[in-house]
Amino acid sequence: MKPEHSEMSQQDMAKQLRERLNKTSDERLGLLTSIDGSQLALLMLNPAKGTCELIESPVENNTYKAYTSNFAQFHWFERALFDMFGIVAEGHPRFQHLLLHEQYDKDFFPLRKVPFPEGFVSPIERVYKFLEVKGEGVYELPLGPIHAGVIEPGHFRFSCFGETIVNLEIRLGFLHRGVEKRLTEVPWQKAHFIAESVATDTACANALAHAEAIESIAQVEVPERAKFLRSIALEIERLAVHIIDVGGMGTDLGILGIAQNMSRLRGNALRMGDLLSGSRFLRAFVIPGGVRNVEERRLGEIKAGCQQLRKDLQPLIKMFLENQMAIERMLGVGVISMSLANEFGMVGVGARAAGIDYDVRKHFACGKFPEYAPPPVVEKGGDVFARERVRIGEIWSSLDTIEKLIDNIPHGDNQIKMPRELPKMAWGVGIVEAFRGELIHMIGTDMDGNIRRYAIKDPSFENWTAISIGIRNELIADFPPVNKSFALSYGGNDL
Amino acid sequence: MFKLFSYLVSHGVMTQRSLFPDLAEGVRGMPKVTDEACQSGCTACADVCPTDAINVFKFDEKGGITLDLGACINCGLCVDVCPTKTIVNNPTTRVAVKDRAALILTNIPKDKPEAQAAISKITIPKASFGSKDLTKPFKWFNRSVQARVVSTGCSACDMEIGASGNPVFDLERFGVTIVASPRFADALVVTGPVPKGMHAALTSCYQAMSSPRVVVALGTCAISGGVHKNGYAEANGVDHLLPVDVYIPGCPPHPWMIIHGMNVAMGKEPPARE
Repeated sequence: MKPEHSEMSQQDMAKQLRERLNKTSDERLGLLTSIDGSQLALLMLNPAKGTCELIESPVENNTYKAYTSNFAQFHWFERALFDMFGIVAEGHPRFQHLLLHEQYDKDFFPLRKVPFPEGFVSPIERVYKFLEVKGEGVYELPLGPIHAGVIEPGHFRFSCFGETIVNLEIRLGFLHRGVEKRLTEVPWQKAHFIAESVATDTACANALAHAEAIESIAQVEVPERAKFLRSIALEIERLAVHIIDVGGMGTDLGILGIAQNMSRLRGNALRMGDLLSGSRFLRAFVIPGGVRNVEERRLGEIKAGCQQLRKDLQPLIKMFLENQMAIERMLGVGVISMSLANEFGMVGVGARAAGIDYDVRKHFACGKFPEYAPPPVVEKGGDVFARERVRIGEIWSSLDTIEKLIDNIPHGDNQIKMPRELPKMAWGVGIVEAFRGELIHMIGTDMDGNIRRYAIKDPSFENWTAISIGIRNELIADFPPVNKSFALSYGGNDL
Repeated sequence: MFKLFSYLVSHGVMTQRSLFPDLAEGVRGMPKVTDEACQSGCTACADVCPTDAINVFKFDEKGGITLDLGACINCGLCVDVCPTKTIVNNPTTRVAVKDRAALILTNIPKDKPEAQAAISKITIPKASFGSKDLTKPFKWFNRSVQARVVSTGCSACDMEIGASGNPVFDLERFGVTIVASPRFADALVVTGPVPKGMHAALTSCYQAMSSPRVVVALGTCAISGGVHKNGYAEANGVDHLLPVDVYIPGCPPHPWMIIHGMNVAMGKEPPARE
């Protein structure tokens, strides 16, 4: 969608934020970043109206007063802002590098285009200082970046007292590949492959957010059939990953029979992706202007696949939800209260499990949503079990949605031709409910119609902090289920 | 437990019996270059390629191409636009090779100077760390291999490794076990483009393994950096750090392609091309 655009001073922006981000307000924070290093760019979302607003605010002398002191959810945004642009957030309680590690030079800020003010030096070193917990009997347990399983790298530093975790600090950034910079270097016609590779397990949602943003800049309306197919693709992706995430919880709790069968059934969901797009991960299917061609008979096969999958999943999920051992490992573990979830701006499954009724599909236009959006699955409790129940609820609602979309899909074109050039100095935003939650792509063009700033906010970016909070005072052995219940992306977070 | 047991029994054995079957119709595999000559002056494939994997040059009045599978993310665009059917979809799941140069495909004889020039354009970097352990590799692991997977990328390849261990593909029946520590690993399987943040972790993982050891580059990112190459994060693939023994192209490779690659690493299957 096209954001409303406004410019204001730092004081005004701080004042606005106090009004617009308080508990009674409808609005929520989209992302905070900069465009070239001389200003802050704040994206505010209004789910009630389905609109968004981009606020630019010039930064004087390369510093501003940190917003983290008032709004906790800014804490990683402001650290990432310093990593990329070198803009200093004064008064940030833990001002450290987030994404760029010791391997980079001290004065290397990849996205900054404007020169630094005279005499500026980076106030912090690249070397990371973990929060130390002191006291008799407290020890540290370092974990990562390479983990025991086949998963992405990240470092977890536990401070423990006996078997109890007192504090967990998560350090990510090992996978920083410079995606945002790369997206401004390639011609925009080829950019969607890079947007997909932000996190290829979320390839379809990333491609969709990219396409929505580019189309809103170019002011192109995609054909109706393409909208249906986009929504179908998005739901197939959600279905496949939710199935394997429930199975993964089975692995972590030691119910291998269920885990292996879920892994097999995920293959059936991926097969639907194969039928739709020729790629198990729905790669290169959603493109700016529509979708790639699909044979009509494939849709019938997908629908039959949905019915079979529902039949195969039902007994397994029933067994999983009735397994007393599994319930006891999940119930009351890793609790995130609703107020904390709100404070840290949590999104996706984690937020809905804490009772927050926020599903992008219901609020913002993308694909055939919100018209065909299923009712959000909201649970109370905020523990591991609640998150699994949300996930399972969404498996069923995704299956229903795919069938409903296939039943009503109209005939027509799959894509519309995109213009050769994008309008100059324009902004576009794509907001999509990926299976992890709210995913935002924000694109701005320059005087020549090329992309000058491409900002991505992965749903994991807000939710990683929740793991740190949820695991406090739990046992070390509870970390795998808590981590798995969030199932966050490292690659999407590190970009 | 009894319910689960009866469910498992009632569903029987799920494992695919045929080994390395071709991909189903309509599924995109890696592209293949046929012997068809190109149209004179046609650059359609190189224009649409998102990773610049295709080079077009003049040959015999018409045109020739080289296609580097090590940089290909199998988007299928070149197959769609090629007017002469020089580039077609290849449904085979036997794609792994032992030599980086074997990933370069061309529609003219490889001994022609034009092809040689194009191949030499694709530089294969020298590993800055370690050397190939095995002068006669792939002999010692032909019964079983313990693999340690290090992910440095976007997790799709990791998910496909996970999928190749599921009951349908069953990687373990080939003697491949995924292990948790590099200390008991024979093979280091690397996914992702290895950005700067992972350089130290990856080399220390390699050092922790005892010799002899093989390194498998799994996925296009691990082979060449894919869409991320030549950025400031120096995400240019495993080649720059470690000596790679087996390359499995694909973005991500199909589970059968991964299984084929592991079999090539063990010496049980021939590589796709020498």
